Amino acid sequence: MSFTRRNVVAGFAAAGLAGVAMPAVVSRAYAATPKKGGLLRMWIAEPVMLTGAFNSTGQIYEISGKLFDGLARYDFDLNPKPQLALSWDISADGKSITFKLRPGVKWHDGKPFTASDVQFSALKVWKELHPRGRSTYRYLADVEVPDALTAIFKFERPSPYVMNSLASVESQILPRHLYEGTDILTNPANLKPIGTGPFKFKEWQRGQYIIFERNPDYWDAPKPYLDGVVMVIIPDAASRAVALEAGELDVAGAIPVPLADAHRLAGLPTLEIPVQGSEALAFQAFMELNLRRPYFQDVRVRRAMYHAIDRNFVRKSIYFDFAKAATGPISYENAKFYTADVPQYEFSIAKANALLDEAGMKRQGDGLRFKITHDPLPAGDHFSRTGDYFKQQMAQLGIAVDIRNQDFPTYYRRVYKDYDFDTTSTGAFGLTDPTVGIQRFYWSKNIVPGVAFSNGSGYNSAEADKALEDAQTEVDPTKRAGLFRDFQKIVMTDLPLFPIADARYITIKSKTVMNIEVDPLGAHGSFAEAYLAR
Amino acid sequence: MSRYAIFLLRRLAQACIIVVGIVCVNFAVVHLAPGDLAEVMAGQGGGGDAGYVALLRERFGLDQPLWVQFQRYALNLLRLDLGYSFKDNMPVATLIADKLAATAILMIASLGTAFLLGIGLGTLAAVRHNSLSDVVISLLALIGYATPLFWLGLLLILLFTVKLGWLPSSGMRTIGVPVSGLAGVLDVARHAVMPVLTLTVFYMAVFIRLMRASVLNVASLDFVRTAYAKGMSRRQAYTNHVVGNALLPMITMLGVNAGGILGGSVVVETVFGWPGLGRLTFDAIFARDVNLLLGILFCSSLLVVITNLVTDLFSAWIDPRIEVSA
Amino acid sequence: MTLRAFRQTPWGRPQVLVGCAILLAILAAALFAPLLFPEGPWPAVGTPYTPPFQSTATPLGTDTLGRDVVAGLLYGARVSLIVAVAATAAAIAVGILIGAIAGYVQGWVDDFLMRITEIFQTPPNFIFVIALVVILKPSIGAIIGAIAVVSWPPIARLVRAEFMSLRNREFVLSCRLVGVPPAKIIFAEILPNCLSPVIVTSSIMVATAVLLEAGLSFLGLGDPNVISWGGMVAIGRPALRSAPYLSVFPGIAIFVTVIAINLVGEALNETFDPRRRRR
Repeated sequence: MSFTRRNVVAGFAAAGLAGVAMPAVVSRAYAATPKKGGLLRMWIAEPVMLTGAFNSTGQIYEISGKLFDGLARYDFDLNPKPQLALSWDISADGKSITFKLRPGVKWHDGKPFTASDVQFSALKVWKELHPRGRSTYRYLADVEVPDALTAIFKFERPSPYVMNSLASVESQILPRHLYEGTDILTNPANLKPIGTGPFKFKEWQRGQYIIFERNPDYWDAPKPYLDGVVMVIIPDAASRAVALEAGELDVAGAIPVPLADAHRLAGLPTLEIPVQGSEALAFQAFMELNLRRPYFQDVRVRRAMYHAIDRNFVRKSIYFDFAKAATGPISYENAKFYTADVPQYEFSIAKANALLDEAGMKRQGDGLRFKITHDPLPAGDHFSRTGDYFKQQMAQLGIAVDIRNQDFPTYYRRVYKDYDFDTTSTGAFGLTDPTVGIQRFYWSKNIVPGVAFSNGSGYNSAEADKALEDAQTEVDPTKRAGLFRDFQKIVMTDLPLFPIADARYITIKSKTVMNIEVDPLGAHGSFAEAYLAR
Repeated sequence: MSRYAIFLLRRLAQACIIVVGIVCVNFAVVHLAPGDLAEVMAGQGGGGDAGYVALLRERFGLDQPLWVQFQRYALNLLRLDLGYSFKDNMPVATLIADKLAATAILMIASLGTAFLLGIGLGTLAAVRHNSLSDVVISLLALIGYATPLFWLGLLLILLFTVKLGWLPSSGMRTIGVPVSGLAGVLDVARHAVMPVLTLTVFYMAVFIRLMRASVLNVASLDFVRTAYAKGMSRRQAYTNHVVGNALLPMITMLGVNAGGILGGSVVVETVFGWPGLGRLTFDAIFARDVNLLLGILFCSSLLVVITNLVTDLFSAWIDPRIEVSA
Repeated sequence: MTLRAFRQTPWGRPQVLVGCAILLAILAAALFAPLLFPEGPWPAVGTPYTPPFQSTATPLGTDTLGRDVVAGLLYGARVSLIVAVAATAAAIAVGILIGAIAGYVQGWVDDFLMRITEIFQTPPNFIFVIALVVILKPSIGAIIGAIAVVSWPPIARLVRAEFMSLRNREFVLSCRLVGVPPAKIIFAEILPNCLSPVIVTSSIMVATAVLLEAGLSFLGLGDPNVISWGGMVAIGRPALRSAPYLSVFPGIAIFVTVIAINLVGEALNETFDPRRRRR
């Protein structure tokens, strides 16, 4: 594996200094001067549109941040730093946030970027049309625009998580002059976006590539250093691995190849896998249990099953050490909220069997206690491998597991609409704030049939609800972190979901690509600082 | 009216019935699949709330009863309107037209190569029946037939891209370098070599076997023996009589495969990142993009019906033995 | 039959004998897999990614999760053969039924049945299979069903053509004269006379079915509860560089089986094809 010294140093340097204040210093920390020019070739799964203002699909997350800047960007501790907003002021009651905007920023079509764009995007786009924005901005009552460079967000009740959701990819500002009065969902600009970011849209050949070119009028001159970014669409994972190996691709993010092969690629002299650059995603693989099933209602059964899953084996043999064994619902990558101080369930088949006996789950004549189904999320090798492993392990407990394959639509319907499942291997971004990324799986008010990645297990705990709801409005950061620590203890006691692996959402890149892991979004970031050293 | 004209009209009427039937079957099949585009899009977006799914469903017209949706679809089809793909934010016809060239290049090149190689190698194998070359050719055909394409494709990439560095591993054009004219054609050709080769290997197996059997069959017929009796040499007999007559089943087979062109090849397009219709269809199924899926199925079915018609007429024309009736 | 006479038949040729031997061996492997590996192919028996020829316990190595490749191959033979044979059998049954009725009854029934046949033959095969498997949800049964659905039309057309040429033969006419019921004429009199092309075609269909199942596994639509050769190739393929044996062994298994089926199919062809018999 390729934790090169340069990379680690780069990571720490960036961690300390990232942000708009001293980006030049960040670069100088490990490379004399960024080299200008060159096209960066990056793999992407074909998106359906190029703006993430109301669509948060993974690949749009990877793409749109290069075309659009956000109000803020984040450092490696996930604290907001100025981007399009120069400063912000949060009122004492937490119900009002005043953003002072950066002057002189222009849209790619030359029109000035103003507070009215922010107002329109927040009220008409995020609050109404963004799948997560609809809850993040639920209590946003109004956005006042006293002048062209001031936007005041007025909330009905404090919404502290908003300050953690201002990155371009999560709350993307659209140009009001192109969207107002149109049908936002089918606006032609969704396919040919006009943004404020370091790169401008140039061409999209469906099924082949998308080209972005350098924005010469970028507010943060002399950035961007690259002449452009080419997003190459390669649907087959094995072919992507070959393209990386043959030097046909410079960067591929979002776990682009099966992890076994990532391990091999990282050993090649030309490639490396940065250790940083997925903190803002805080991806976690976990299992959801359908608590409506009678045998899962006894917490001892759930604990027994969790005891039988060797998360270190999963880390090693399925995630090839591109992960840590998960200890709780929040990934270690989200250091601001993560705690290891929760009930632990060490790997022990004997203990598991004892717990099941104690719970009265007798083995039948054929040695079986009961039969369950398992649905892996159809989104990558690691979930189906985890399912296979789960089947092996449960067999040792006398639990027969029937694995079911399906495509996405069937999966969503089974797990999140019909609740026609027993267990599922899945995973999700924890994102920069647990209220935005984690709450959806545990909050009882989020048991909404038909909504994917909601509370599918049917977990309903007054205690967990209280911790989550208090955290929604707690303005004091320390107290808020404390509430989430309580939450983690509660759910690790109840164990409605099985955290499996805090997996890094790895990026594989050529060693000649510099400065893509300068913020916690990594390959999902803007690439304003990125350059090619060749 | 001549017998031929009646035959033609009859076949046309049958073709229309089939097209109507296909429209109905496609619609039923597509709507039988669990889940819909609204759920998929909300799911890929990482969730959302119930209102968001309802909003999308209303936008896509999925909140209407099924028969209303069918009515709309059928009416649109009558106006030759294939509808709008809400997944890709584009009219279905535009999306299909975009990928048509790529699919046509891939399929026509591989079918054509396989057809010609099939005639050559199949005849050779038949002429040298049971000799070493027959065994080798037949074995080659079998290897081509028995190797999963997704595996063969990857082996080719490893050889030509990673080991030799001769060919690009995926895509259809070199990106970022706008080329036109002859250079552009050559660029596409370079990208096409491996996918075309992979598909050719598969089709060739079918054609070689068919041609070999057909030549053997024709060679045993009476008129060939008569030709020998009249003192014709073996070579003359084959070039003048056997090969031409043996081509008939080959043409039927070519017609069958040509009709399927628009289906593309999901597997080969996936392995080589070839931007064709097969992959578009596959993605449409997985996203439950009903309009797009129905549009592609309709177009490809139409092509099948038309090629069948043409093949029938052609066969009837060159081989008078074929009865001009139902 | 003397040995020499046997050698003269297609079945006496060495390659056909080899084909038969291979098929028998595969059948035996499929049958005896549970005796050799009573635990099934799933349990982990060694360190993940043990290469082949390194350990006597797992002579062909272990996969990602430490499962025995040999056990996978033997159980895979079962699944691949079951899928192929069941799908082919179902397609033949439906094809014969439809083709026989259409060819014997003729008239509007024939018209109707042939239009239905064409409708099923029109959509791109593989895409039709994918759509059906998605609808039925991937399982062994769904895969068999979907493959059967796209495979029966050619059989139906073949049988229909045979029936049309046989229905006016004297033996059929005389049956009709003495009042034999049509069902009996169809199945007892005409059908046995047109089985040979069906048998010949079916040998190809079996091979195609093995490959279709492999293609489905590659696209993530295989049945995860069973191990099939196609599935093993598909799962092992991304690791082609680091652990090539994972996809090479099952690939060879598919390849050898398809070749064996074809060799036997050729022999069947020559045995049954009336034109060749005449020679």
